[in-house]
Amino acid sequence: MFPFVAKRIWSGFLTLAALATLTFFIMRLAPGGPFSRNRKISPEVQANIEAAFHLDEPVWQQFGRYIWGIVRGDLGPSTRFRDYSVNDLIASGLPYSLTIGFWAILVASLVGIGLGLAGALRRNGWTDYAAGTVGVIGIAVPIFIIGPLAQLYFSVHLGWFPVGGMNDGWRSLVLPVLVLALPNIAYISRLTRSSLIETMRENHVRTSRAKGIGPWLVMVRHVMTGAMLPVVAYLGPAAAALITGSILIETVFALPGIGRFFVDAALNRDYPLVMGITLVYGGFLILFNLLTDLLRGWMDPRVRHEG
Amino acid sequence: MKFRTVLGMLAMTAAFGLAAPAFADGVLDRGVGSEWSSLDPQVNFDAAAGWILADAYEGLVNFDAKGAIIPGAAEKWEMSADGKTYTFTLREGLKWSNGDPLVAQDFVAGMLRTLNPETASEKGYYFYSTIQIKGAGALANAETTDTSVLGVTAPDARTVVVQMEAPAPHMLDLMGSFQMAPLHGASFAANGAGGFIDPAKVVSNGAYVITEVVPQSHVLLQKNPNYWDAANVKVETVKYHVTEDVSTELKRYDAGELDITYDIPLAQIETLKAERPDEVMIFASTYLIYYSFNLSVPPFDNVDMRRALSLAIDREVLEGKIVKGGAVPTFAYGGGFDPAYQGPQIAEAAMTQPEREALAQELYAKAGYGPDNPLKLSIATTVAEVNTRRANGIALMWKKVLGVEAQVNGQERKAWLDLFYTDDWGVFADNLVGDFAGPETFLSYMRPSAEPGYDWVKPEYDAAMDAAAVIPDKAGRYVALAAAEKILLDDYIFAPIAIEPYRHLVKPNVKGFEASVAGYHNSQFITLE
Repeated sequence: MFPFVAKRIWSGFLTLAALATLTFFIMRLAPGGPFSRNRKISPEVQANIEAAFHLDEPVWQQFGRYIWGIVRGDLGPSTRFRDYSVNDLIASGLPYSLTIGFWAILVASLVGIGLGLAGALRRNGWTDYAAGTVGVIGIAVPIFIIGPLAQLYFSVHLGWFPVGGMNDGWRSLVLPVLVLALPNIAYISRLTRSSLIETMRENHVRTSRAKGIGPWLVMVRHVMTGAMLPVVAYLGPAAAALITGSILIETVFALPGIGRFFVDAALNRDYPLVMGITLVYGGFLILFNLLTDLLRGWMDPRVRHEG
Repeated sequence: MKFRTVLGMLAMTAAFGLAAPAFADGVLDRGVGSEWSSLDPQVNFDAAAGWILADAYEGLVNFDAKGAIIPGAAEKWEMSADGKTYTFTLREGLKWSNGDPLVAQDFVAGMLRTLNPETASEKGYYFYSTIQIKGAGALANAETTDTSVLGVTAPDARTVVVQMEAPAPHMLDLMGSFQMAPLHGASFAANGAGGFIDPAKVVSNGAYVITEVVPQSHVLLQKNPNYWDAANVKVETVKYHVTEDVSTELKRYDAGELDITYDIPLAQIETLKAERPDEVMIFASTYLIYYSFNLSVPPFDNVDMRRALSLAIDREVLEGKIVKGGAVPTFAYGGGFDPAYQGPQIAEAAMTQPEREALAQELYAKAGYGPDNPLKLSIATTVAEVNTRRANGIALMWKKVLGVEAQVNGQERKAWLDLFYTDDWGVFADNLVGDFAGPETFLSYMRPSAEPGYDWVKPEYDAAMDAAAVIPDKAGRYVALAAAEKILLDDYIFAPIAIEPYRHLVKPNVKGFEASVAGYHNSQFITLE
């Protein structure tokens, strides 16, 4: 177990290093710079401003400075949000993204697995059709349609929840969490349903039943453990994506998470902020993939022995 | 997911539950669009953050609800006979929000910090270019660190003297908090720039003080009891909300979360105007849209071709039927911002559009182009919806009237800015936001010596601008500026298109939010009924 984890952490570290290097140089290939403006600032002043952010140095030197910063845990100053360092901005935005993502993944897993289970157990019953309909809607209709519709109905019309912002306690969380969870509910329920149906036909399940084990015990001990493997494999990366914030959700619901910083930073050539958020994304993705693999290893001996 | 993390999430959710609702009574909720760049008064360059800072800081002058200059921290001022020196007298007993006395030296300190290269502020050009304050250029360009060269001094605690190299009647427009906020030296020395966003440390001199800052979310301000005119400040609490998406902002407004929006979605303007005309406020700003021609690329070096292209644009149809954003069509460059300025328009402004189009076809043929030999050009624009709509509309008109094959080259904003300094464009969808509501900020920008990108060689224009620059009184100066603008417009180096408006939705119970070309809307002049 330990060599497996150590190996994964090392390869994760290498992936992050490659990510940092690639992003750093690709960002600088884009035309324009953080201080391009259509205003006549004197060339000396422009040079002074760029020097203050070390943009006058050769690119390899900037890269060296950046890597040295990361080593010390300093992601540098933001050029777009001048009052903050990248560390400040991530510290400010990440908790919001994490909170919404956490609740969304929780809701998506519980409801998704529940619907999938209901569908598999009573195939072609009304619950199955209802779950199927939710699934199709969740997958087919994009967030930027569902989001505004939900705002119009539940916020503007009924006044139950705020349209946007984070000013209204738990009520601010409801709509973004549900809208973010919906497509994942759809995926998870479909995945659970088909995986359960498949597993229930397998020989070991049939054998268990023939041995006279009660239907609930068969379900929990023999069907669920096997059927949940693909769901867990999906949940890992999905959780990483949800928890690190959805750019669309944050834009539609005016939430102060890091997803919006990311877009704003890229458009404004805020190199350090783009880099910082990319690394956070990358780190979470690697972490959740690792957790997923550990969980699958625990559930399925075959995965354990591959590594 | 670990159990402790789950607990953390639960705790975080509970903490949100304790936050106060946004739409409590007596709070003025204002939209600021996307996130502000900075709340550092010497650094911020954003108009939207300028509103927040105008509430928190007061300059020597202030701007009333209509944007007119009124006394601010200074109760009066005098201009010297040559127009180069202004002497401001501060009100008696002015205080910072923490109770410290506010003195003339604090304004000098503010300007010195703006000009200091270490501040890395983009606003220094107000003082060495828009107006020429003695020593400002030398300090900003790091030619000297000797602060005594600066022509802004405080001979005593209540007097600020500003000495300029040349007279500039528009200097008062630059003495508000956006350009010239005072600096509380002790607080800055102790906390650095981080103090400006820390409610526990920030010290300001405006009608309000910043009491909460959450990036990408909001800034909360409370009335400053130490403000000299606090008795007349009616709204106790002001909250500025970030909402990136205009459609979301409209819904926040409809749900009562906002009293004043930052913008209105273009597609909704007509409906909103019809349904609630009293809440829609659309008025001219200092944001000018014009299409520049690349003078170093043939055939745009030919004035006939430039003139033909400019005349073929039906500006009324373009803005009223195609773009539909409420922009005001214009045939001038420096006019339309200050009613006192009687500047020229392009010569054909008085014609009807069919007459202009007939002339355009004539000039196009004269330049050697026609159906067998159509002009092919590319319009460089940003990908913002309003800009691509306008560019496509103009391309269509050029096709229809002249047979020009125009291609719209939509670029992401930063790439578009850099493209200007290359020759990879024939027509550039240009714009300029004036530093103040007057013609000179626009006309100086076009000086061949000031903006190298246009490749325009015109010593007569520089001479005419130089002639205007020595006139201290506004009326006389405007006459001279109008003569200069005539030279500019006669060369058709760009096609003036329209003046972009501000678009706001304002709740009926909000009073005192009025049309202001310069865009100043201090909350201290707003009341909630």
